[in-house]
Amino acid sequence: MPGFLGVHLRVSAVNTIFESRIHRCLMKNSFPVIVTSLLFMIMAIVLASSPVQAESKSYKRSVEKYTIPNVVLVNQDGKKVRLQSILKGDTPVVVDFIYGTCTTICPVLSAGFLNLQNKLAATGHTVRLVSITIDPENDSPKVMNAYLKRFRAKPGWDFLTGSRADIDTVMKAFNAYIPDKMSHYPLNMIHSPKDGTWVRLFGLLSSREFLAEYQSVAGK
Amino acid sequence: MNWIKAVPAFLVYTLLMASAPLGNAAPAPAHNLPKAEIIRLGERMYREGILPSGAPMPAFIRGDVEVDSSAFSCSSCHLRAGLGSFEGGVVTPPTTGNKLYKPYRRPPSLGDTPDRTGRYIYAKTVVERPPYTRETLANALRFGTDPTGQIFNDVMPRYPLDDADMDVLITYLEALSSTPSPGATSTGFSFATIITDDVSQEDRQALLEPLENFVAQKNHQLDLYNDFIKFGYYPTIEMKHAFRKASLDVWELKGPPETWHAQLAAYNADKPVFAVLGGMSNRSWQPIHDFCEEQRLPCLFPITDLPVISESGWYTYYFNKGYAQEGEAVARYLNRLKTVSSHTAILQIVQDSPVGKALADGFRNSWHELGRPAVTTMTLSAHQLGNKSTLDKLIKKHKPSILLLWTDAGMIAKLPQLVSKLAGHGNIFVSSGYLGKKTVTIPESIRGRIYITYPYRLTPYVGSQEGVRDANVPILSSAKEFGQRRITSRTTTMLKQTALRGLNLLYDNLYRDHLLDIMSMQMDLVVRDYERLSFGPGQRYVSKGCYIIRLGSGDNPEILPQSEWVIH
Repeated sequence: MPGFLGVHLRVSAVNTIFESRIHRCLMKNSFPVIVTSLLFMIMAIVLASSPVQAESKSYKRSVEKYTIPNVVLVNQDGKKVRLQSILKGDTPVVVDFIYGTCTTICPVLSAGFLNLQNKLAATGHTVRLVSITIDPENDSPKVMNAYLKRFRAKPGWDFLTGSRADIDTVMKAFNAYIPDKMSHYPLNMIHSPKDGTWVRLFGLLSSREFLAEYQSVAGK
Repeated sequence: MNWIKAVPAFLVYTLLMASAPLGNAAPAPAHNLPKAEIIRLGERMYREGILPSGAPMPAFIRGDVEVDSSAFSCSSCHLRAGLGSFEGGVVTPPTTGNKLYKPYRRPPSLGDTPDRTGRYIYAKTVVERPPYTRETLANALRFGTDPTGQIFNDVMPRYPLDDADMDVLITYLEALSSTPSPGATSTGFSFATIITDDVSQEDRQALLEPLENFVAQKNHQLDLYNDFIKFGYYPTIEMKHAFRKASLDVWELKGPPETWHAQLAAYNADKPVFAVLGGMSNRSWQPIHDFCEEQRLPCLFPITDLPVISESGWYTYYFNKGYAQEGEAVARYLNRLKTVSSHTAILQIVQDSPVGKALADGFRNSWHELGRPAVTTMTLSAHQLGNKSTLDKLIKKHKPSILLLWTDAGMIAKLPQLVSKLAGHGNIFVSSGYLGKKTVTIPESIRGRIYITYPYRLTPYVGSQEGVRDANVPILSSAKEFGQRRITSRTTTMLKQTALRGLNLLYDNLYRDHLLDIMSMQMDLVVRDYERLSFGPGQRYVSKGCYIIRLGSGDNPEILPQSEWVIH
């Protein structure tokens, strides 16, 4: 089984690099968690993509079924929002996980949201966007409101926070449990109102790719 | 027809680039300005994404996503010191002149593409680039390619800057983190701690003990390390930066707070330090906060209940917002009660003191942010508070059903009488911090109607007194320690769980801003005194919670939480 062995070697090499990287970059106590999660991510990428696929797409796509937990979250205006209700409706809704003071990938995810919103607005369509915080301690309505303003978000894009227990429940329901916000990953999910499925997009998408994915769900 | 949709964005980019030279032309120094002004303008580009003209810096990500760089400034990923970050699986490399003009090997990152054989980048194929020049750097910022033609990760925006603006930005990058900060050398760190003269001898000792221990331990480790070397141990590059001598000065501040600035300046001129480790004052931390901002001097977790509440403060890390956080918790708690409407009469009675004012301000600001109408606030001296008829008149006049009583323990005896006068079986809110040890003497008959702010941990903590997680150490409950300042335990947490991590990860990048950057990228911590500490770029109050509690019966009452740790 040379292929199997090959994967093994690759993974252990990645592990070694990450160990040295983590020692330099991150905190000692969090080391096992990060290495495990990163290793898992890298393994997921290595195992899931053949070279051919990787050339055509920079993200991983799958269709999933999720059970939305019955939790009440709080939006950027301080209003209580029942998650199940905000995700219902006869148009698709896009969900991501971000936080207000994130440095690297959240701004990119949010720029993707904004572009999708702008592009669809130009065709007279209002897209429903829901960002859920993974830093509920810090992300109060005030922080979330300022974040949306900074990105010049238009109505239709909600940013939700809540108790840590509820946020954990939501992340778990989307198979996206992130124990610590510093080890999160880029994920967008589009809910189809027709069959109730979710298109799960792991990775960073260009605005063209994102629009195409959205339209494929909307036009189903 | 996706490519058609990409055309407009591409056109915009091309047009924006029209004024910029393509290829490898060097950015000419077009802004004829003094160096200091160029650095100021460059800093604004780097930190805020604003061009010297005052317009936002245009930027593109993922090829065709146009973004406004005020939400995408350089510092949001490369951080303030410019030494990069590691977050969300993405490695953001350093971007200072020092590092850019040297070869660099980047560790693997999310978004790396496989090489031609389909292998992902790992040890043998790790991305390595030669040094940049000003020309190749300009090219990198505009087109996202390094000197070898390697394309950047998609999260890095491309900036179509003209020559003059590019020159400003590159000049800033060259100056950024170019000389080590004062108070640090390759062989040692100088630290100070700050104590004001209102701190009791006992509290002073509680603060200095862990600090002196910490310094002694660091120096002891260095001795051991030197012994290893004597016996032939050859350290790796990283190990060479792991052990440094440490020294601790005590900056004592005496007399009125107006004179503190001059005293601090004299200490700092005499022997500059790399960072202030902890410290303590019972008065407002404002003058010390301001001094540290002005000197760009990190001040890590002083023991103060009167911190500066600011969204832009950078150099002081606080455990929490102190008394203001207790006031804020009450606002958040009341805001979500269905029984509280805009018609509910809420009265704040505030003892005329810095503590009373901080509690009242914390409530008022948070209540206002929640979109609630202003409440009546009466500030009274301790003498007025002692006068029964003054209080009776106030209650009679305002008919509150909710009374926020921001006073010290002197009012505890009056609580039964006050609560009996409230409209509609109302409640009184008090601060456990302000009442202190006497909180437990609140009369039993009215405990059901007295709500108390409590900004510390309630759930059992597994760990030792030193604040280090240790499953073998019996469970400690830190509850009921009303009035306990937790000076030693919190200072130890600061040293061993956050400051040390930051210091260990500096390696040879001895910049104060870098220390703060690294500390802000820490994972959450579970510590002895708080349920959770959480970090993040720009976050400076690491414990975000405050319970609202009631007391059970007896002399050693049970604590009955009425809210979760962080109230939304």
